[in-house]
This record gives sequence, structure tokens and C-alpha cells, in this order.
Amino acid sequence: MSRKRFRMPKLGYASAIAIAMVGLAFGPASAADPVKVGALYPLSGQVAKSGEDTLNGIRLAIDIVNNRHADLKMPFAAGEGLPGLGGAKIELIAADHQGSPEIGAAEAERLIVQRKVAALIGAFHSSVAATSSQVAERMGTPYISGESEASTLTERGYKWFFRTTPSSRTQARDFFTFLRDINKSQNAGVKTIAVVHENTLWGQEFQKSVEGYFKEFSEFKPAIMVGYQQGTADVTSEVQKLIAAKPDVVFHASYDAEAILFARTYKQFNFNPRAVLAIGAAFGSSAFRDALGPDANYFFVREHWSRDLASRNPLVGQVGKMYRDRYGKDMDGTPARAFTAMMVLADALNRAGSTEPEKIRAALAATKIAPSDMIMPWEGVAFDKTGQNTLTRGIFVQTLDGVPKMTWPADQAAAKLVFPRPAWR
Amino acid sequence: MSEQLIIQLIVSGLGMGFIFALIAIGLTLIYGVMNVVNFAHGEFLMLGMYASYLAYATWGADPLVTLPFVAAAMFLFGLMVYYLLIRKVLTGSMQSQIFATFGLMVFLQALAQFFMGADYFAVQNSYLSGVITLGGVILPVPQVAALVGSSLATLVLYGLVFRTGVGRQLRAASQDAQAASTLGINASGMYALAWGIGSACVGVAASLLSNFYYVFPRVGAIFVLLAYVAVALGGFGSIHGALVAGLLIGLLQVASGFFISSELKFVPVYMLYLIVVLLRPRGLFGKM
Amino acid sequence: MPSRVTSPAGLAALLLLLAVLIALPLLIGERPFELRMATVILLFAIMGQGWNVLGGYAGQVSIGHGLYFGLGAYTAVLLAVRLDLSPWIGLLAGTLFPAFCAVLVGIPCFRLRGHYFVIATLVVAESVFQIFTVWEWVGSAVGIEMPVKSEGWANFQFHRDKTPYYYIALAMLVLVTAGKWWLHRSRLGFILRAIRDEEEAVRSLGFSPQFYKSVAMAISGGILGAAGVFHAQYVLFVDPFSVLGLHISVLVALFAIMGGVGTLAGPILGAAILVPMSEYSRVYLSGSGRNVDLLIYGALIMLIAVYRPDGLMGLWQRVNPFRRQSVPVRKG
Repeated sequence: MSRKRFRMPKLGYASAIAIAMVGLAFGPASAADPVKVGALYPLSGQVAKSGEDTLNGIRLAIDIVNNRHADLKMPFAAGEGLPGLGGAKIELIAADHQGSPEIGAAEAERLIVQRKVAALIGAFHSSVAATSSQVAERMGTPYISGESEASTLTERGYKWFFRTTPSSRTQARDFFTFLRDINKSQNAGVKTIAVVHENTLWGQEFQKSVEGYFKEFSEFKPAIMVGYQQGTADVTSEVQKLIAAKPDVVFHASYDAEAILFARTYKQFNFNPRAVLAIGAAFGSSAFRDALGPDANYFFVREHWSRDLASRNPLVGQVGKMYRDRYGKDMDGTPARAFTAMMVLADALNRAGSTEPEKIRAALAATKIAPSDMIMPWEGVAFDKTGQNTLTRGIFVQTLDGVPKMTWPADQAAAKLVFPRPAWR
Repeated sequence: MSEQLIIQLIVSGLGMGFIFALIAIGLTLIYGVMNVVNFAHGEFLMLGMYASYLAYATWGADPLVTLPFVAAAMFLFGLMVYYLLIRKVLTGSMQSQIFATFGLMVFLQALAQFFMGADYFAVQNSYLSGVITLGGVILPVPQVAALVGSSLATLVLYGLVFRTGVGRQLRAASQDAQAASTLGINASGMYALAWGIGSACVGVAASLLSNFYYVFPRVGAIFVLLAYVAVALGGFGSIHGALVAGLLIGLLQVASGFFISSELKFVPVYMLYLIVVLLRPRGLFGKM
Repeated sequence: MPSRVTSPAGLAALLLLLAVLIALPLLIGERPFELRMATVILLFAIMGQGWNVLGGYAGQVSIGHGLYFGLGAYTAVLLAVRLDLSPWIGLLAGTLFPAFCAVLVGIPCFRLRGHYFVIATLVVAESVFQIFTVWEWVGSAVGIEMPVKSEGWANFQFHRDKTPYYYIALAMLVLVTAGKWWLHRSRLGFILRAIRDEEEAVRSLGFSPQFYKSVAMAISGGILGAAGVFHAQYVLFVDPFSVLGLHISVLVALFAIMGGVGTLAGPILGAAILVPMSEYSRVYLSGSGRNVDLLIYGALIMLIAVYRPDGLMGLWQRVNPFRRQSVPVRKG
């Protein structure tokens, strides 16, 4: 494979098409050199499955760019490759960081130095995104993240780091917007909020972000903050604290295991807040629903994406179906976001018309994608100075009759939300 | 602070404590007889829980119904582990015993993930679910079952060890294997028996636990760290020590979780261990 | 016991090994993956040597040694972030402070025997880990990034080419191994081994086992701390899980024991065989997320425990025509 970077003078769009046409006419042999994109994901160990699902979102995006999908009304679907780069295809080079910040940095370096990738995408774990983007920053390689959520990532003032997903701080804000809206539309009168969070980076950041918003949303008061050690055998003392504090609603940051444990303990002690709102997918996951049966109903989950969006946006249904056909399982919020990040990167590569790092960076910074061109419920993609996408929007999904339904915002809802939740039976 | 809340905390703490105790009893029995700590004990628990769950998922059998079968299967599994692995490291150092069982731990965890994946499975609506309410204090039924289970297990084990001929042989083998052999006692057979009984105990714990806890490949680690501390706190090899220490730990983690910090609720448990062994280097009831 | 550790032939073999290790980066060339693995092997070898001072010579099995590694790493990062001190001062402080903490931990724990000691080291390390995950001043679960500086020896940071890290690790390993060689021959080493074998006898001769164990603990904790500083400089990031997690304690003990307890080259051998084994099996076998690598790893650990209870060094000694290098470890 040629190590030479593909360079193209600043030609107009038309000439690019022309070159692409010529390329087509003479067959694939004379097509432009592929653009290499390095992907850093956990592909072994505990979260290998989630890493693989996420990477599949990226694979699907690259497939849409590289091959012809006439029936899909999406940028790059109609043609083959990136027109701005003479029809160059994208070549994915995946690397396994095993969830280790140290290995992530080493792999980023290997991809940049040895595999000469034009850009990096990753990395699922925020801790790995932190170290691997540090390498990219030093080496001047564009880095885009579609699903690493730690707020600190874009607060470092990095020049080469871009993030399409909302940070956990932005996500925390959605909880308050949701409650304010419910208070208005349902006259719910919610005042006090408890936060239950696990004790790693993710849960701690959520708790701190929520605390920070009480000033802006001054109609709400914190009732109690309950942190717990991940992998605990028993949450009785945590639930007793909640019962004593009598909050109107509970915000939850928990992974699958403790989500099941908490829900069961709430029922045991007949703890009935008016709503439980969760960040992360645990309280609506299939494991959760299987384990709890009807008791899994009425939990709200702040989601990034839902299949219910298909009723408004046909792309969601089409892409969701392609994902299921190819990888044998339903798409969810994380692959959907990784897919979107890859499409944003493809768009930037295309507009850069070059694999020169500085041009790609400039193109990323100037990104402007319309809501109709993507599968997320966002108002679009545009980055601020820190590299954070400012046009994100959250949705809330509620499990009703055993099925997660998109219930908020009301204008996109697939079902009417149930608030307050009925008492435990 | 209402009286009812305090009673509730005590009851809940004891409820969890009985579960820790039940897991710890199997561990301490094996140690008591042959001075080996089974670092794969948590994975034995995990296997028992998968057995319970699979019986439920395949035949709809309630964990309470399958309890004797799971215990029996774990008994056989314990024998197998003893003959295939443990017997071969008995003459080695403490280090090689630690690492034989440590390797077994890694192996069994990986095996579970290989066959079952990393997903969480849970039994729904078992016989032993729901709660009993007594004057406003809530007693979860599975924890009441754990209370009955571990009390029974302790009584049965005591009966077995101190009141039967087999028990005499077990004790003889544990005190001096060589002397026991000259008296015609098959020490290796006794060791195998200890592994079988210890594993059966954890099988009982697994059956009871699967009434309210989910199973996944690493579920053992959640309970077993505290079970080790319980065994050491009670004194290695002491059955009633494991019971008392399990209850103490259950109580302390609920109390510290409620009154101090739920994030650090196990730190006081660890400190309790350090303080106790400083005063009594062989734990609460360990043989001096 | 004879205090001569190596025969002339053994010494020659050792020098040859050293020459290979010095030349290794040239053989590896521009392959960061292999270079990183070589560096990780050296790091674990250093840690194994440190563990072995306490576990092998003094016979005190600790599964909480990740604590000193983590304390070293945190010391280095905190000094750099809060006081902007030179990383070499960080290395000094990151060695001394964990050594001091190790002595503190040793004071109560050395009264305990066997498994009581093992569990005590475990709960101390677990407690510190849990406290660090909520302690804001040390960055809680979020962790702290080491400020990135221009590369060079003064800053102990190398960005484009990681080879200097390899040589620093190698130098540390040579230093630690030489120190252990000296320890092996010294009166201190003799007393430590005597404590392992017959603690009461040592006491009756008028030596304080507690004092000598504390010395071993300090050396051991200091070496682990220095390794932690190296890790912090290499990764430029610490968080509780990656430097204080229980898995580090377990791996260190595992590598040292599987290499051969109480031997000079055992921890090096253990790391050199087990690190690549786990790395390559992960790269080639675990893409499916089904943990085939761990299946094999677990089975291998059991096999070694059963067939080579004295560790991989035992295997070496069987084929080694030269003098025995170690004292067999007693049961218990």
C-alpha cells in the first residue's frame, strides 16, 4: 500500500466530480488512494461486546460512504467514496485498547506513526479518549469522538479534538429541562431531587453536573446525594437514606447490575418517588426488563436515540434496518452516535478535499450539518471553540408495558408519558 | 431517628449478614480441615447461581425446588476440583495453593463468559420473593430464607463434625494427617469430603441468593471479598466464627452506609478486621 | 546457605542477557506495540523484584502491593501538578513516601501470620483504593492528568520516540536486581530468609523479626513506588482504577510467584513470559469478546501451580547445569 499521502490541489467541486467520473470510467484500478481512519475501541475484555457494537456503527457509516445506496437520502449515500477526494474510499483501521488509558495512547501512536491514518475516531471510555487524544494533539492529528462523554475532554482547550456527543454535563441539564417542562405541562409540582450515582468517573461527573444546575433551575432543591461503590452486594442503607429524605424524583446514574438491584430494593421497601430518571441505558436495557418483568415499567431513561424517531425521520428507520440486517441486532444510542461521528468526519474529509491534517481540522471546525441529513434527534452538528457540538438535544424514553417508548419531547413522542409513576404493586 | 428505622437497619443488616455467613461457612470448613484457602470460592457461588437460573429458565423450576439438586451438584463439583487440582498442590507451598485456586478462578470466570456471555440473568417471581411486614419493619423473604438456611447449615455442620464418626475422622485428618493415616483414616478422602461439603454449602447459598440477585460471570467477586474477610475475622477454620463475623459485617456495612458514607461503607468493615486481628491475631474464634 | 549466587558461567549468561536487552530497541525498530510490551515487561519485572524482597525473602505474601505502586504514581503526579516540581524529585519522593507508608502498614500487619496477613494487606489496599475514588483533592475517580511538557530527560517525558522510557525502565531494573543480588549475599538477606524459615529461632538469637520485616517492607514498597512513578511519567495520567486497582496487586504477586519465589531472576522470567502471553492472546484470541484468552491464561496458571510449584525458575534450574540460585520455599 502506498505510504504517500494523497494530495489534491484546491479544485472545485465540479472538477472533483469530473475526476471521480474519470475514475469510474477507468474502473477501480485508477480510483484515488483510500483515506485511512483509525478507530480506537475496546474489543476485548469486559466491554468487548459494547465496543464491537459501537465499531459496527462506524463500519456501517463507512459502508454508506464507500458504496452506492440509491434509496438512502443521506449525504454520500448516492455515490461511491468521497467526491471531494476524487472518489477516495475510507479505509477503517480498528485497534483494541482494552479499556486501558495506557494502551489507548500506545495504539493511537501506532496508528498515527505506523499506519499513517488521516484521523482518529474513538474511544468509548472517556479515560482512554483522554490519553489517546493527548497523543493526537501532540502529533497534530484530527480526533473525533462520538460517544466519550466526560465533560473534561472538551475543557482542555485542545485544538485537534472534536466531539459530536453531548458531554455528561449537557446531559444532566436535560433532566432539569424535562422536569421544568413536566411541571408546566402536567402541573406536576416537582420540587426536591435526589441523586443516586455510582462511584466511578461517569457517576461522579453526573452528580457534580446536577449539583451545578440547581442555581440555574432554582425552583428545584437537592434532597440528598447518594453515591455508592460499584459492585456492592446490597443497597439497603442507600435506599433507607432515600426513604428518609423523601425526594419527589430520583436521578440515577447506574450500570446494569446495580440498576436491577436498586429497582428490586425500591420495591422491597415500597419506596415510591414520583419518577425515577436515569442517565445511561441501564434502566431500560433488555437485561433490566427481563430481570424485573412488569416492575421494569415507568422508569425514564435519558437517551440519545430511539427507533421511535423513525416516524419523523425516515433515515432512522432505514439506517436502523441496515444495522440490524448486517450485525443481527438492533441499533441503540451508542452505535447511532458513533455512526453520526463517522459521517461528520467523512463530511469534513470531503470538504477538506485533502488528507492534510490542518485542512481536515479546519473543515471539522467549520462543520455545519442539518438535522434532516442525520439520524440523531439533534438540531444539527456545529462545533464551538472547544470542539464540542453545541446543537445536541436529549430525549426521554419510558418503558411502558415492557417496551421502551420515546415520550419526550412531546412533539416527537411515540407514546404519552406516565407521570407520576404508579405505586409498586 | 425513629425506633422503627433503627430496627429496620438492624434487620436488613442481619439479613445480608446471614448471606455473607452462608458463603463464608463453606470456605472456612475447607480451610479448617486442610489449611487451604479457595480463592475460586466466589466462582463456585457463580456456578451454583447459573445452575439455579438455568433450571428456572429451562424447566421453570423454582430455585427452592432445585436447591437440593444444586447443592448435590456442587458437592460433586467440589470433589472433582479436589481430585483434579487441589490434591496435586497439597504438598506445595501456600503460594502454589493460592495460585492454583486463583487460576481456577480466572478459568471458571472465563468459562462462564464463554458459554453465557456477559449478560445479567435473574429469576422472576420465585417462591421466596416479596416481603413480610412486621409492625412497619420490612423483612425481605429471601433474607429470612438465608437466616433459616445459614442457621441450619451451621447446625448441620456442627452435628456432622462433632457428633458423627465421619466428623471424628475429619477432625483427626485436620489435626494431623499422618497420624490419622496410621489409625486407618483416609486423610485424602476426608479432604475430598471437606471440599464436597464446603462446595455444597456455597451451592445452598447460591440457590437462596438467586431468589433476589442476578447472575453474571463476575458475580462471585461481589460477595466473596466480604466472605474472605468474614472467614478471617471469625478465625480461619471456625464455623461459628464465620457465622458471627458474617452477621457483624452485614450489620456494620448497613450502619456505616447509612450513618457515615454509602460510598465508603466497606472501609469500616475492613478497619474492624484490622482492629480485631491486632487484638486477637487469630480472629474472633480462631484456634490459637 | 551459600551466599554465592552466581557462578562465572551464570554471570556470563546474565551479562549476555543484559547486552540483548540493551540492543533490543534496535532489533524492534519502529514498532510501538512491541516496544511498549518490552517496557511493560521491564516494569512488571521491577515490581516483581520489589514484591519478592518481602514475599520471597521475608516470606510475607502480600496481595496489596498495588497500593505502593499507586502511591508512587500519585505522588509523582501530585507533585508535578500542585508544586510543578521536577519529575526526578517526584521519583525520589515517589520512592520514599510509599516506602514510609509500607512501614506504617507493616507495623500492625506483621503481627499476623499466614492468611491473616494476606487478608490484612488486601483490606488495607482496598480501603485506600475506595478512599481515593471519592477524595476530591487527589482527583477522585476522574483521575489527574500529568501536565504535558516538552520532551527530554529533564522533564522525564518522551513523546515521539518512547525508546528512552525503555532504557529508564531497564536501568531501574538493573539497579533493583543488583540491589537484590547484594541483599541476597548480605547479612540482612540472610536474616530475612531465616525469618521466613524459622522466625522463632531468629527471635531467640536476639534479632527483632519485626524490625527486619519492616526493613524488607520499606525496600519493597519503595521499589513498587518507583515503578509507579515511572508508570505515571509514561502514561501521564493516573486514576484510582488504573494504578490502585486490586488487579495490579494480584498481577504483581502472580508474576513474582510464577517466576519463582525468592529467586533473583524469577520475577524477570515471570514477567518476560507472562506479559507477552497475555498480550498476544488478547490481541489474537479475544476479538470475539468471549474471553478465550482468559480461559487459556487460567488453565496455564493452574498447570504451573500443579507441575512447577517452585515457579518457572524451577523449570530453568532443571536444565541449568550451573549452581542453584535459590533456596526452596517451605510450606506455610
